[in-house]
Amino acid sequence: MSALPGILGLTLLNVAVALLLSPLVEGVLRKLKAFIHSRQGPPLTQPYLDLLKLLGKEDLRTSSDPFYRAAPALSLASVLLLAAMVPMGASPPMGFAGDIVVLIYVAAMSAVILILVAYGSGSPYAFVGGSREMMVLLAVEPVVAVTLVVGAMKSGSLATGEILAWNHANGPSMSMVLAGIALLLALQAQAGKLPFDIPEADQEIMGGPLVEQSGPRLALLRWTLWAKQLVFAFLLVELFVPWPRTGWLGVDLLLALVKVMVVLVLVALVDVVNPRLRVEQAMGYYLRVAFASLAALAFAVIGM
Amino acid sequence: MTPTSTKGMQSPWASRGPRLLEKRLGVGLAESRLIEPDTLWVRVPRALLRGAVETAVREMGARFLISVGTDQRSLGDGYGIVHLFSLDRDALFLAVECLVPEHQGGVDSITPIVPGADWSERECRDVIGVEPQGHPDPRRLLLPDDWPDGVYPLRRDFDYNERPAAVEGSRPPLKDHPRGSTVIPMGPFFPSLEEPSYWRIFVEGETVVGCDYRGFYNHRGIEKLGDSVLTWDRIPHLAERICGICGMIHSTCYCQAAEKAAGIRPPRRAEFIRTLILELERVHSHLLWLGIAGHIIGFDTLLMQSWRIREPVMWLTEEICGNRKTYGMNAVGGVRRDITPGQVPKIRDVVTGVEREILAVKRAVVGDATLLARTQDVGILSRKWAQEVCVVGPPARASGVPIDARLDHPYAAYDEVPPTLCTQGAGDTWARVLVRVDEALDSVRIIRECLDRMPEGPILTEMTGDFPDGRVGISVVEAPRGEAVHFVMTGGVNRPYRWRVRAPTFPNLQAMPAMIQGQNLADVPITLGSLDPCFSCTERMETVDVRSGQVTVHRRAELEAIVRRHRP
Amino acid sequence: MLLSKLREAWICLKAGRVTLPYPFEPHDPLPGFRGKIEVAPDLCFGCGGCANVCPAGVIEIQDRDQLTRVLTFHWSRCTYCGRCAEVCPEGAITMSQRFETATDRGEDMILRLEVFMGPCGRCGRCFPPPGPMDRMMVTGFRDDTRGGRPDARSAGPLGSVRGVRRDSPTDGGHLPPGGPS
Repeated sequence: MSALPGILGLTLLNVAVALLLSPLVEGVLRKLKAFIHSRQGPPLTQPYLDLLKLLGKEDLRTSSDPFYRAAPALSLASVLLLAAMVPMGASPPMGFAGDIVVLIYVAAMSAVILILVAYGSGSPYAFVGGSREMMVLLAVEPVVAVTLVVGAMKSGSLATGEILAWNHANGPSMSMVLAGIALLLALQAQAGKLPFDIPEADQEIMGGPLVEQSGPRLALLRWTLWAKQLVFAFLLVELFVPWPRTGWLGVDLLLALVKVMVVLVLVALVDVVNPRLRVEQAMGYYLRVAFASLAALAFAVIGM
Repeated sequence: MTPTSTKGMQSPWASRGPRLLEKRLGVGLAESRLIEPDTLWVRVPRALLRGAVETAVREMGARFLISVGTDQRSLGDGYGIVHLFSLDRDALFLAVECLVPEHQGGVDSITPIVPGADWSERECRDVIGVEPQGHPDPRRLLLPDDWPDGVYPLRRDFDYNERPAAVEGSRPPLKDHPRGSTVIPMGPFFPSLEEPSYWRIFVEGETVVGCDYRGFYNHRGIEKLGDSVLTWDRIPHLAERICGICGMIHSTCYCQAAEKAAGIRPPRRAEFIRTLILELERVHSHLLWLGIAGHIIGFDTLLMQSWRIREPVMWLTEEICGNRKTYGMNAVGGVRRDITPGQVPKIRDVVTGVEREILAVKRAVVGDATLLARTQDVGILSRKWAQEVCVVGPPARASGVPIDARLDHPYAAYDEVPPTLCTQGAGDTWARVLVRVDEALDSVRIIRECLDRMPEGPILTEMTGDFPDGRVGISVVEAPRGEAVHFVMTGGVNRPYRWRVRAPTFPNLQAMPAMIQGQNLADVPITLGSLDPCFSCTERMETVDVRSGQVTVHRRAELEAIVRRHRP
Repeated sequence: MLLSKLREAWICLKAGRVTLPYPFEPHDPLPGFRGKIEVAPDLCFGCGGCANVCPAGVIEIQDRDQLTRVLTFHWSRCTYCGRCAEVCPEGAITMSQRFETATDRGEDMILRLEVFMGPCGRCGRCFPPPGPMDRMMVTGFRDDTRGGRPDARSAGPLGSVRGVRRDSPTDGGHLPPGGPS
């Protein structure tokens, strides 16, 4: 079909946005953090320079296991796959019927790979970091699942593109607003921001899962985190706040980016005024959010 | 001498003390004398040391400070072990001395009576070689693991730059951790610890079930330098570098001890200047600590902002003293620089600005639920245990122990500008935060009062003649971390015969195992941080700087005994 | 809770940006700042007072032959306390306000000052002074003795040569070329 080049083009666009734009977004967030800290902060392009520097360093590995070796690349690949399944200014390029379920799994993949990397590192700090990552994942996934199910229920379809289209056509509704708020709260942990940056707690466990990663591996893992925060923000914004939409890809992408930046700035502001919570406190918090998001589900059931 | 400095001399214990000790011990004391201005010195026979200490602690209400081991063989006295106590209500120091002739074994350990003497006695054994018999944990404390046995650095026949050959193959066996637990090593290099120290934390899941400590990586041989290489007037500059943050405290404490030993008194203006700088140091130190504590729990904004608030104080001291931190203000007999009239309004402006900002920060963080979630009920230190381990400073005051060296043994100008005692009752990390913030605000008040009341006059009392022999001087200064103690004994050639430093972190660290027992692993760094540990202060004794992560033997039974000794 | 966060954010925003543009713009320390020591060689007459008071052992004094006293300043040890400047009777040592003193040249860390000393008017030699303190001012500082006894193996951490021994006040030609090692 003539849609195929379109799909390929859109996929490449999504991947390019996730890959190439995410360090710039990270740079903006760092600058914002520095501004709140009353300091000058690094230049906006610093994350690119960080990646370049790390990619050029020696690759030291603590294990010769082939999966361990490929893990950072696989992690980044999973986020790019997620990017291809997430709408960015248009319908998701790799969307298909029932893809919302697959999306939830792909979304969790990078975290799972990080956990495996942590356990493969052999450092006690990484073990603790890995177990914390697992607990945070277990706490956050139900919230993500419930909010996406709300979208599915309202639109009557399990395809991301159709949920988006339905939401765009029907305007805001109670259940969708509640679900959006819940997903926004979940974004704080998914983006690895305070008060939920528990797995990568520098000061407490020396960087957690990333403690034994260096050079190109660290570059790819960091890139994964940056791309993840951008892609999740896109998911939130496109599914729950899809207005306005002009129909022209360039304009829509730009509008989506603006909304994404608003969301990420909000996330960064919360990040900068909070200390880190303990993992059981974070789990308690997300349990409460999950229960609250059931209210959204209830609203969806009764048709609101 | 002004009235307050003789308060100790006039206290009832000054005369009753020796009589009570004689009564309890059943024999005349070998020697008991009142040393101007505030020390009661008793010498007891070896066999009666424990009895004397018990009387002091239980009946006289003495609080243990530190033990001093001195090689007095050149004076014909063998080795001298002195246990220093403070009678807080009476502004009196009590020194219980016991002489151990050469080659005649050790002394009775007083740790069973005073748990806080644990490290002090081990340190004495490490550097002088007098064994504390009956000590529950007689391992090496500060000598490195490959240091040969039988070589004691603070003996007079050990040269300060001698380097004994490392003992080959001296790797202490790694300790057993309790079954079912994993070991999380924190240190010697760790992001949340600014200085090297090695904590082995035993965890089950995320709960701490025990810990082991190996420290003293920061030894620099300061006490040895003081009594073998430097001279009386040069030591303040070394004392200032014992700690990067409490420089003025240590140099003031040393100068005060030397002045007491010499029998001179600095001019009143110098005492006021010392007080002013000490309080400025307290303000900046507490703000620094607030930032560090924030950083440890991931709250970098608190770090950045509190250090921003602190910066004008650093510029101010740069202008007054010539340097942001190593002030170089003290000399034995007074201070080296005066406060000019032009600087006074600037000081007022700076502290007013700092006060305003601290109040704003306090108002903002008091209701911060996430901050409270990380600091309330974390690292609880009970009042009873704080007193048994002789914790000092804000950790003690946050647990409700009402001690403050500025009030108990007034020095410098604190008799005229006394501080407010800031205590809390909860004994958790949040209580320690509140105590420090309140103290910083109180310091601003003291600074203003110092400026109001500072008299004109000279700033240095010159010494004519040498230091008299056979004198001692004990001085305490309230550092931001707690009470620092300096002890000097005259008799060297233009230098002290013995100079002993006890930093406030020395007793405070001994309370750590009890504070983290049963806590979450994530809370260990903030608990350690809330003690405001200054490892550089704590570790001054050795000339050899060894950075080894080697663990000392710590048998399981001992470990269990230590961490289970505290049952709230 | 929200109120406290807003208050915290307000404190941050009110402060603005406080980063100084240093080193892109110069920064002058406040007057009274204790910076690097400057030595005016013409004013020094070799009394050794500076060496006597220096806590860090920066200044080493040795006599070379009968006429020259060599003062060596080991700048890497200097802690900028300023006692030398306080004590110098001629004002030969002053404290500047320089604080940018990093260098990658080892020779910048040593200053050697050779001072011409007048010999005794009658016998033409430098005479051994009476007491240990006076001797220190002539034979050299920090001879690592205990109780005044010269110690043959007196080598400090930098391994440098110490003072002249009492029985040979003139050590002519003893100094290795280039100064003390």
